[in-house]
This record gives sequence, structure tokens and C-alpha cells, in this order.
Amino acid sequence: MGHECLVSLEMANEIDQSRRTFLKTAGAGAAVATFAGCITDEDPSEEEGGDEGILNRINSTMTSLDPIQSTDTASGEVINQIYEGLTYFPNGGAEVENLLAEEVEISDDLLTYTFTLKEAEYHDGTELTADDFVYAFRRLAESENSERANFILGDIFLAIEHETDDDGAVVPESIGAEAIDDRTFEITLRSANPNALDLLSYDSFSAIPEGIVGDIEGYDGEYEHSEFASEVAVGTGPFEFDNWDPDAEAEVSTFDDYHGSVANIDGVHWQILEDDTAHFTYAMNRSADVFSIPTADYDQSLIDAETDDEGREIGEYGPVENGDMLDYVGVPQLSTYYFAFNAPSVPVEIRQAIAYVLDREELVQNIFEGRGEEAVTFTPPGAFPGGPERRDEFIEDYPYELFETDRDAARDLIESAGYDDDDPYELTLTTYESEVFQEAGRDLRDKLAGLGVDLQLEETPFATLQEQGENGNLEFYSLGWTWSWPAADYGMFGFEPENTNTSLMPGDASGYYLDWHEEDSDASAMAQEAWETVEANPEPEEGQEARNEAYIDMEQAIWDDAVMLPLYHEIAEQFNYQHVDIEPFGTMGDYLQRYNNVTLDE
Amino acid sequence: MSRWRYFFRRLLLSVPVVLFGLTITFVIVRMGPIDPVAAIVGPEGGGASRGRIEERLGLNEPLWQQYIDFMVNMLTFNLGQSWVIQPGRSVESLLMTYAPRTLWLGFWSVLIAICIGIPLGFYAGLNPNTKSDYLASFGGIVWRAMPNFWLAIIILAVLRQSERFFFGLSWQSLGVSNNLIGQPPLDFIAFTDWITVGIISIPVGVYFSFSTLIESIKQVMPAAIVLGSAAMGNEMRIGRTAVLETINSNYVETAKAKGLRDRVIVWKHVFRNALVPLVPIITNEAFILIGGSVIVEVIFGINGLGYLFFQAAVQGDLPLVGSLMFIFIVLIVSINILQDFLYTVLDPRVGYE
Repeated sequence: MGHECLVSLEMANEIDQSRRTFLKTAGAGAAVATFAGCITDEDPSEEEGGDEGILNRINSTMTSLDPIQSTDTASGEVINQIYEGLTYFPNGGAEVENLLAEEVEISDDLLTYTFTLKEAEYHDGTELTADDFVYAFRRLAESENSERANFILGDIFLAIEHETDDDGAVVPESIGAEAIDDRTFEITLRSANPNALDLLSYDSFSAIPEGIVGDIEGYDGEYEHSEFASEVAVGTGPFEFDNWDPDAEAEVSTFDDYHGSVANIDGVHWQILEDDTAHFTYAMNRSADVFSIPTADYDQSLIDAETDDEGREIGEYGPVENGDMLDYVGVPQLSTYYFAFNAPSVPVEIRQAIAYVLDREELVQNIFEGRGEEAVTFTPPGAFPGGPERRDEFIEDYPYELFETDRDAARDLIESAGYDDDDPYELTLTTYESEVFQEAGRDLRDKLAGLGVDLQLEETPFATLQEQGENGNLEFYSLGWTWSWPAADYGMFGFEPENTNTSLMPGDASGYYLDWHEEDSDASAMAQEAWETVEANPEPEEGQEARNEAYIDMEQAIWDDAVMLPLYHEIAEQFNYQHVDIEPFGTMGDYLQRYNNVTLDE
Repeated sequence: MSRWRYFFRRLLLSVPVVLFGLTITFVIVRMGPIDPVAAIVGPEGGGASRGRIEERLGLNEPLWQQYIDFMVNMLTFNLGQSWVIQPGRSVESLLMTYAPRTLWLGFWSVLIAICIGIPLGFYAGLNPNTKSDYLASFGGIVWRAMPNFWLAIIILAVLRQSERFFFGLSWQSLGVSNNLIGQPPLDFIAFTDWITVGIISIPVGVYFSFSTLIESIKQVMPAAIVLGSAAMGNEMRIGRTAVLETINSNYVETAKAKGLRDRVIVWKHVFRNALVPLVPIITNEAFILIGGSVIVEVIFGINGLGYLFFQAAVQGDLPLVGSLMFIFIVLIVSINILQDFLYTVLDPRVGYE
């Protein structure tokens, strides 16, 4: 199918839109009935993938289209097509680049950033101005709908200049964001942040037209917030918002006046599916062009790929069930899944013994069919201080067994703590509702059998796990951490022993649920000292070396005290039919990819 | 007691049931271990956002105050807005989005079960211990025994490769072409024009598309068969027993002795009495299909009310869980009342002491 279909599709879109207004106003039944057939025959969402210029993807449940409200990657993927910020990670790669910023000037004290904006237009035809950014940043900081206010205000995040009132709330219009003129936007930070530009790529910092919602002081709003979160989305991105039917589908179409390279495709359609069978069926029917494959239907041996210089596996996968060969990209992600302990609740010998029996390689092979990378350090290779080579060097000194189970060493440690098979140490592992962690827990329980640790498994919803963690009630638990930018800084703050104090959570402490400060050990002291070194060296360039060394000390301390056992780093994979030409995504994840450079050819 | 007084009493008794159900919902969601704020903030949120979100949701108020607000809001049908699932979206609009999918699926699965299960059961009951009875009974047991989630996955695996299994006959292009996965299109009917008479709006313009209707039915059919399968087996088995019981009863013999034609006996006496034990089965199933279709909905990508309810419950979205529970409770109670009403119609003995 070729050009003709493209034309009829556009017609169908128009008809579809006019039908909606039509239904709301008035009309004779007969007239409606005449184009009823047209709609059903040409409905773009029902066509098979790829042949009509719509890129078909699968997404999971989305929460909101408001950039300051959404916190999930599913909404993020759609938001990223519609909205843009000052900077971005092209294709989710590791290097940050300017997007709506044409130029950035950073003052000598590293506190003032001056952005010259590109000439760009919103989907409704209005021009982008610096005031829009002031408004967008104010919303992020001040609006009651903002669920990422800490990203702009928080000390470990952007830490923008601002004033707070007696209740700790931000004073309206007090944040250090200013429009110098139409094209010049300036922000002032409280303290130097080496990762400010990376952070500004986060979708919550996207430009939105000034005054579109009235949820901060001084604006009445053109739309209700609930409309803005679900029905109206106006950005400068390469695609315009069409519709979102919750837990069914979402659709965007190409924005012809885009300031960058206008998309080759006509739009993107997401079918929202949560179940693995549904997902795989949809993909195998060729209803989706680019998708992932659930582990149950995945076969490691079908991959034929080579590693590129960014550590990505790029090649082919197949033949799959329907006989087709697929293009394949596999990329290690900046995420770490781990087991961790509440330090004062579990003796150090027990923690170390568990480190001895844990076999990460077996775990990744058995549970994930090899779709993960064994995590030895908390920081993933892509963000490791000093780079991936430094990490490889560092893990050679891992104090426990790297990729095997050492039961003897574990038994000795457990005995020295005063426990044995007859009088075992009772330990509860709490995982959230994930088959993976349950399986890993069962595996660990079997490995510990007969050694003097009686491991109980408990499963709890994610939200409950967090609550228990903040109350310091988790002895031994599973969680994960995802980096929002590729630097070790993000993630290490949670290990500062004073910051792991659960009795200060939530509020005054934001670390992992370790209570490491209560542990009177050399390692704990070393970690505290290392963090203080980090804070004393905030200069982006000059301070980097000192910070890197401090982070590595912290990694060493985590090993020594075995407060946390990193398990694996996720490998994200993307498969597509060969009529799709899409650039491989990077280590920050494929949800950051914008689809304006995709071509469909059939 | 007359049958109307009996009916009215049932209606009155449902009030405390609704109140009690709402209270239990509040206690479980608010006093249980699930924390909506944690679900919103996620692992990367800081303490400051927590406090703000708590304040916005009113979670810093004393618990009794929250309880009273909750009860008053529900009972005045002020269902509020979702907290976690789609923050800020009104519960009504979520219901309007999700409910039609589930109702459409539920409608077809009940219908399939009734239209196949009951006639088959009655047929088996009228011809007991014949080959066709054995076949039908055995089939009923097999249908009954196949778990929904398994059957759903198998049906999908077969249909998506239908060309291979059915000699090139592809399910997707059979009749109208569609996707195997996803929502059935429900826009085959819509009102285009309304006339206001006093305060009541009456639709006058109707839009209807036959081909969308067919597509919609085709889309929902595999899921409906899976969801209705257990019920179908059930109804078949119970229908057979019920017919066997009535056909051997004394009044049927009397009717035969009176010289009534077989046809009249079967239609007028046997069937009507055999329906009595089937009524509670069908009404109960109707509810299970509305609330309990989570797995089947998700596997077929229909994501309706069941899925919404599950997500809301797990993430502590109180207004949404509360409203859905409220609606489910009202539904159960009304289905029960409807059931009692049907009893009084089918069986005049009910209601008199």
C-alpha cells in the first residue's frame, strides 16, 4: 500500500475530527449514516502496522499528560513527543545536548545559567518566549499538581534559588527564574550543580504556553487542570496531541511547523496493554512496528548482534513465531536492582554470609534469560565514576565470591555470629510484587538452607514496601534505583549514613532504608567521610576527580559492610519489523526517544 | 406478608448493607498498609513533596474527619477525583470510560452462557442417558474445568496463528478485519441530537453503524467465550439436573395423565419450574463477570472496570476504590433485589410466609 492510502488516511482523520464536533452539535441521522462506513473502514487505529505512515507502538498504563504531574515512563514517552525542554538526551543516549536552548552561558560562580532560546512555535501557532519557561518552572515549583517539585527545589537536584514561608512552602514568584527578554531565560541556583544541564532535560522542565492552566498565583488558566492533564496538550515538540483513551490507546500526529526536522511519519499510535500475552499477540500480528518481547516468549539464542562502541548490542532477532526477522537493539540501562538490609537489625556476619552465597550470574541466566547485567557495584557501568574501565578494574577486588556460591565461607561467618543449623537466625526478606524478586528470594533461601539462616519470604505492594521502609521495619528487602542522568552523583546521596536514618523519613532524610548511621563500623565512617568530600567539591570540572574517588570509597564501604547487595542492571531491548528505520536508543532508555527521525518503508 | 411488602422490606434492608460496605472499604484502604502518597511520589520523591501531596489530598486531617467526608461524599454521589491512577480526573469520567468496555464484555459473556448453556442443559435433561446427553454433559464438565487465564492464553495463541491451524483461514481477516487485542469499538451507536422537554432530554437523532457493530462483536467474542465458559458449563449442568427433577415430579405425571400434549408440558410446566434454581446462578454470574473479569480483560487488552478497580486498590486511590466499591455494592444489592423479584414472578410461593 502506498500513496493512495496516505491520502485516505488523512481524510479519515479529518472526518473523524469533524464527526466529534458533529455529534456534539446537531445533525440528521441520515447524513451521519452516510459516512459511518467511511469511519469504520478507515479508522487509522485499526489498520495494520506501518503501512500508512503511522508508527505503532505498545505502551503501558499512563497517568497524566501534564509534564509536572506525570512520574511514570509510560506517560513520559507520550509527553516527550509533545513537549520539549531546554536540553535533551538525543535518542536516550548518554550525552546531553541543547534542544529549545540555542546557547547556554554559565557564570563563573557556576550559579547563573543564561539560555538563549531557539525560535520555535507551539502547536497552537503561538511563539515560544522566555516567559513560558518562567511560567513552566514556577508551576513545577509552586503548583499543587506538581509531583516533582523536589527536582527544581531540592538540594540534591537543581536547587534553584527560592524563598519559603513559615510552613516550608515556596513563596509565589520567588524562584530564581527570569525572562531577560523574549529570547533570553536565566536561572539562578543556590549551590553549584555539576549536572544542572542533564537535569533540565527531564520532562517536568518542558516549556508550556504561559497561563494555560491557572494552578499558580497570577493566572486564571485557559483550561481546567483536569483537561490539561488528559485532553489538551500544547507543546513545541515534533508531534501534536490527538487523543488518549485511558488504558486503551493514545495518538499523536506530526506537527508540520516543527522547529527541528519535521517527522517523516504521519504520527504515532500507542496501544496500551499490560499483559504479556496481549503484548506478544499484538506484536506478532504486526499490529505494532516497534516493541519489546516478554521474557516468556523470548529466546536468547535467536539474537545475532554485535556490540557497538557505546556498549549496545545491535543486530537481528528471529525468525519469530510469524516467520519474520526483526531488528534488534539491546542496551544496558542506568538502573540497579538490589537487596538491602536495615543495618542495625541484621548482624554484619549474616549480611556478609548472604553476600557469599549470592550468585548473580545464575540469577540473571535463570530468571531473565540473560536479559540483565550482573551488578557488583551499585553504580552501573555507564555512570561509574571514572568510566566503565575503572569499574572493571575495581570489581576485581570484590571481597566476596563474584560469580559463584561459597557456602563454606558463609557457614564460618554465620557460626561466628553464634548461629547454626539447629539454632538458625531468622530473617524476613520483603519484596514487592514481582516474580523476579520472589524467584531470586527463593533461590537465596535454598542456598542458605542448612547454613544457619532461616529466610522467610514476604511479598507486598510497592506502596506498602515504601511505607514500611520509611518506618524502619524492613530487615531485608528488594528495590531498584533508576538514574535520571548518567552520573554517579545521582544515587550516591542515598548512602550517606546520616541520610539513611529512617526515623527522619519522610522529610529530613531521603536515603535508602539502611539506618547505616547506627552501625559503628569503619565502613560506615568511611562512607560518611566520603560524602562530606563530595559536598566539599561541587565544581563541575575541577571537583570531578575528588568526587569520583569519594564515590569509589563509598562503593567500597557498601561492600565491606554488605549493607546492600546490588543484583543486576537492566538491559532494555527493542525489536522492530524491518520496514521500520529507527535509530538505536541509548542508556537513558527508549522512552526518551523522539520519533521524528523514524521512517516507515513498505 | 404480601409479596410487595416482602419486596419493600428487602429494599429497606439494603440500606445498612450499603453503609456497612462503605465503612469497611474506608477502613481497609485508609487504615491498611497501603499508602497512596508513596504510590504517587515513587522511589525518587523527597519528603517535601510527600507533605505537600498529603496536604492536597486532605490526608493530614484527623481520620474521623476523613471518614465523615468520605461517607457524605459517596452517599451524595459526589464521587470526587482520582488521586493516583489519573490524578485530577473525575471518577465519573473514569467510569464513563472504563465501564462500557466491561459491560459490553459482560453482556456477551452472559448472553453466550445463557444461549448455549441453558438450551444444551435442557436438551440433555429431556434426553437423559443418551449419547447426545453424554456428549453435552462431558463437554459441560470440560468447559467448566478450564481455567479462564489458561483458556484465554490458548485461544490467543491459536487465533494469532489461525492460518497455520485452519488451513489458511485467518481469523483476523474473517468477515471484518480487526485486531485480536484491544478494545472493541463502542462507537457504533451514538445520539446526535437531543430535544429538551421541560427538564428531560430526549435523544432524537441516532447514529448507527452496522459494520462497526459487527466489528465490535467480533472483537469481543473470544474474550466473551473465555469469560462465559465456566458459567456456560455451570448452567448446562444445573439446567440438566433441574429438568430431570421436574420431569420426574408428580405434577408432570398428572399433566401427562390429563392428556396434555408433550409440548405444552415441557414449555409450560417443566421449563418454568426448571428455571427457578437457575435464577440465582445467572444473577450471581452477572456480578462475577462485572467485577471478576480482571484477568481476562487484561489478557485481551480490554482493560475495563475490573482492571481499574485492581489498580486503584493496590495503589490506595481512595476516592476511586471507594466509588467503585460503592457502585459494586449498589450493583450487588440491586441484582439481589432483582433476583428476589424474579423469584416472586417465577415462583408465586416466595414472599408468603
